[in-house]
Amino acid sequence: MRSRAATSAAPFATTVRIPFAATARSLPFLYAAVTIVLIWQFVVILTKPDPSVLPQPITVAWTLGHLLRDGELGLDTAYSLGRVISAWLLSAIVAIPLGLLMGSSRRLERLINPFVELLRPISPLAWIPLAILWFGIGESGKIFVVFIGTFFPMLLSTIAGVKGIDPILLHAGQVFGCTTRVALFLRVMVPASMPSIVVGLRVAFGTGWAAIIAAELVAAHTGLGYLIANGMDILRADEVLAGMIAIGVLGFLFDTFFRYLQGRYARNAG
Amino acid sequence: MMTATNTGKPLRIAGLTKTYETRSGETVEALGPVSVDVEAGEFLVIVGPTGCGKSTLLQVLAGFLKPTAGAALVGGQPITGPSVDRSMVFQSYALFPWLSVLENVEFGLARKEIPPRRRRELALHHLRLVGLHDFANKSIDELSGGMKQRVAIARAFAVEPSIMLMDEPFGALDALTRRFLQRELLRIWQEQRRTVVFITHSVIEAIFLADRILVMSSRPGRIKAEWRVDAPRPRDVTSEELRGLEREIYALLDEELAKSFDIELSAGASAGE
Repeated sequence: MRSRAATSAAPFATTVRIPFAATARSLPFLYAAVTIVLIWQFVVILTKPDPSVLPQPITVAWTLGHLLRDGELGLDTAYSLGRVISAWLLSAIVAIPLGLLMGSSRRLERLINPFVELLRPISPLAWIPLAILWFGIGESGKIFVVFIGTFFPMLLSTIAGVKGIDPILLHAGQVFGCTTRVALFLRVMVPASMPSIVVGLRVAFGTGWAAIIAAELVAAHTGLGYLIANGMDILRADEVLAGMIAIGVLGFLFDTFFRYLQGRYARNAG
Repeated sequence: MMTATNTGKPLRIAGLTKTYETRSGETVEALGPVSVDVEAGEFLVIVGPTGCGKSTLLQVLAGFLKPTAGAALVGGQPITGPSVDRSMVFQSYALFPWLSVLENVEFGLARKEIPPRRRRELALHHLRLVGLHDFANKSIDELSGGMKQRVAIARAFAVEPSIMLMDEPFGALDALTRRFLQRELLRIWQEQRRTVVFITHSVIEAIFLADRILVMSSRPGRIKAEWRVDAPRPRDVTSEELRGLEREIYALLDEELAKSFDIELSAGASAGE
C-alpha cells in the first residue's frame, strides 16, 4: 500500500521534474541534428559541390525561412496534412470496426484474413500509378493512396488488441452482467482493446504521412511532396532540402503528439 | 445505513462431473462426481492439490463451463450460464483498467439496471466497507495489489449476489496483505451474509475463514474429506485445537499430493504457507 508521505511528495516531484525531463528527452535529437549539420557543412567545405546539387546548410536555413515567411510552406503543409487527416479518419472508420469484429470472430477472421495477407505486402506507393489512372491527379487519388497506407497498420493493431485481451477480463465482464455477446463486446472488448487501437492510429499516421509525400511527388500541384518535386525540376536543391526538413520535423512532431496522447491514455488504461 | 436486500441462497451441487476431450481424442476426467450442499450464508472453503479440479468446479459454478453430468442449483434454479447473481473475485483481480475505482464497483450494478443514483450510493457504500471510499475517483493502476483486491471484493459484494465465488483471491498477495484482507473479508461477510465458495491451497487460510472445509482429491477431483470449523471468529490459528486441525488436513493433502506427483513425500514437507 502506498504511504501518505509518498502521495504528498508527488506534486512537488512532478513540478520539478517535468521541465528537466523535457530538456533531457530533447537532448538526443538536438545532438543528432547538430551532428548532421556539421557533417553536411564538412562535406560542402571538402568537396565544394555545385549549390544546385548540395547547398550550404545556411543557404537551406535561409530558404526555409523564406518559404515560411511567404506562406508557401504553411500552405503546402496544410494541403498535405488535410489529405492525410481525411484519409486517416476514413481509414479509421473502416479499419477499427472491421478489426474489432475480426478479432472477436474467428469465422470472420478466416473469411477476411486471406485478403489482408495478400494485399498488405503491396506498398501504398505501388498503388500510386493505379490511383492516377482511376482518379486522375485530383484529391481522391491521393486520399486513396493514403487510405491504403493507413488501413493495414490500424486493422492489424486493432485485431491484435482484441486478441490480446486477458481472458479473465471477459470472464469478469460476464460475471458482472454482460450476458450477451453484444454487451460483452461493447462493454469489455472494445474498451479493453483501446490502448492497442491508439497505437494503430499513431503508427498509421506515420505511414500515411510517408505515403502522401510520395503521392504528391508524382501527382500534385500542391503539398510538401510537390514542393520538393518542384525544387528538383527547377534545380533548386535548397528548396528540396528545406522541404525535406519540414517533412521530417512535422512527422516527428505528429509522432511526439500521438505518443503524448498514448501516454495519457495508457495511464488511464493501466 | 444500507442493509442488503437479500442474503445468500443455498447452493446444491449434485453428482457434478466434468470430462475433457484432449486433442489426441483421449477423455480426461477432471472433476467428480462431486455432491455438496452449501447452506445459505455459509462460508465454504475448498482446499486441494494443484490440478485437482477445484478451479474447474468454480468455472462450472460461475457458468463458464457446462458440466458433463450432474447439476448445480442456486436456490433451486439450475446454473445455465454466467450471471451477476453469482459474482466472482479472481486471483488476478480482473478489474477493468479503463474505468475508475468507483466505475468498477458500479459496473455490475449498471448491468442490473439499477438507476444511476442508487448505483452510486451502493458503490460508495461498498467502497467504504473496504476502506477505499477516498479512492473512488482514482484509476486502477494507481492502486497496489492489495487495494485492487479490495476493490474487487467491493465489486463482488455490491451486486448483492446469491453466491460469491472466490478463486484463490489472495494467492498473489504478500503474507501481511493477505492476512489483512482475510480479516476484511470476514468482517464484510459477517455484515452481509452471502453464500461463499472460496478456493485456496492455503490450509491456514481455510482454517481462518471457513465454516466448513472440503478437501479435494487429486484428479479426478472428488470430495475427500470435510471438516466443520466451529471455533468463534476472529480465530487464533495458532491455538492448539486449530493446529491439530491443520496437521490433520496436511496429512490428507500430503497423501493426495503424493498420488498426483506419483512420488513419496517426506513427512515434514508441509510447511508451505
